[in-house]
Amino acid sequence: MSIAVQHQDESQLLHRLQAGHADAFHEAVRTYTPGMLAVARYYTDPSSAEDIVQDSWVSVVDAIRQFEGRASLKTWLHRIVANRAKNLLRKQGREVTMDFADALDPALAARFKPNGRWAVPPRISTVESAEALLENGALSECLDKHLAHLPENQRSALLLYEAHQRRSDEVCNILDVSASNLRVLLHRARQKIFLMVEQFQETGEC
Amino acid sequence: MLMCRELATKASEYLDDRLGAGERLSIKMHLLMCRRCRAFVGQLRNSITLMEAHSSQRLAPAYAERLDHEIQRALANASGDNPG
Repeated sequence: MSIAVQHQDESQLLHRLQAGHADAFHEAVRTYTPGMLAVARYYTDPSSAEDIVQDSWVSVVDAIRQFEGRASLKTWLHRIVANRAKNLLRKQGREVTMDFADALDPALAARFKPNGRWAVPPRISTVESAEALLENGALSECLDKHLAHLPENQRSALLLYEAHQRRSDEVCNILDVSASNLRVLLHRARQKIFLMVEQFQETGEC
Repeated sequence: MLMCRELATKASEYLDDRLGAGERLSIKMHLLMCRRCRAFVGQLRNSITLMEAHSSQRLAPAYAERLDHEIQRALANASGDNPG
């Protein structure tokens, strides 16, 4: 879908939301909730995340009338969820702690010699195209499983980065992370998927 | 000279085009000479494409219905507050 079409659709949806049409909310819930859950999961466990997103939607019913469209609807919704999640953590005296020290996944870091060369190089030298790989249904299932098992902050960073058309500034703003820390989260997540694909191609097992 | 470990550390930034000209060039030079790192970068690029295809998350129907329900209640309350 082109960005222009997206904008047009979004402004039509926005008018219907602001007029309080239930069918518009029905549509918006299905379009925007997965991204909103990804934001909430960055901060908290799955069940609290569902509650935070639910409370956010309820607040949106009123707040949408004040929405002026300075950010995209998606970004606005994501910020509402992030603020709620952060407030909740603050009330509970908790905070998100993260390790940004090393951009290399430990499992990959272990595959280099002290001199910085590969000790255990990538095992697949003939690289199949991603399209060819995607046709493999078993790999697809395996990806689902591994994505679900990524550390929450990596998974959220990854999902939001794609959801925001790779605009780091928007994702950093929503999640309150620096650009360099976002790079670390993304790189760590991608390495996990790399290791999974490598094992899958080599053994056929997930 | 750039070592394989350092290249692996910067591979995402390289693929997302976030590096300066100097670092970009030294990675390109390394990739020309190193088959192993070419395999790594190629496979990492594939991993990114695979995840893009998977990043559209499914929403559990029961949860979506719960949200519909809560929103309808909030809408009903809002119209009750402002008749007309």
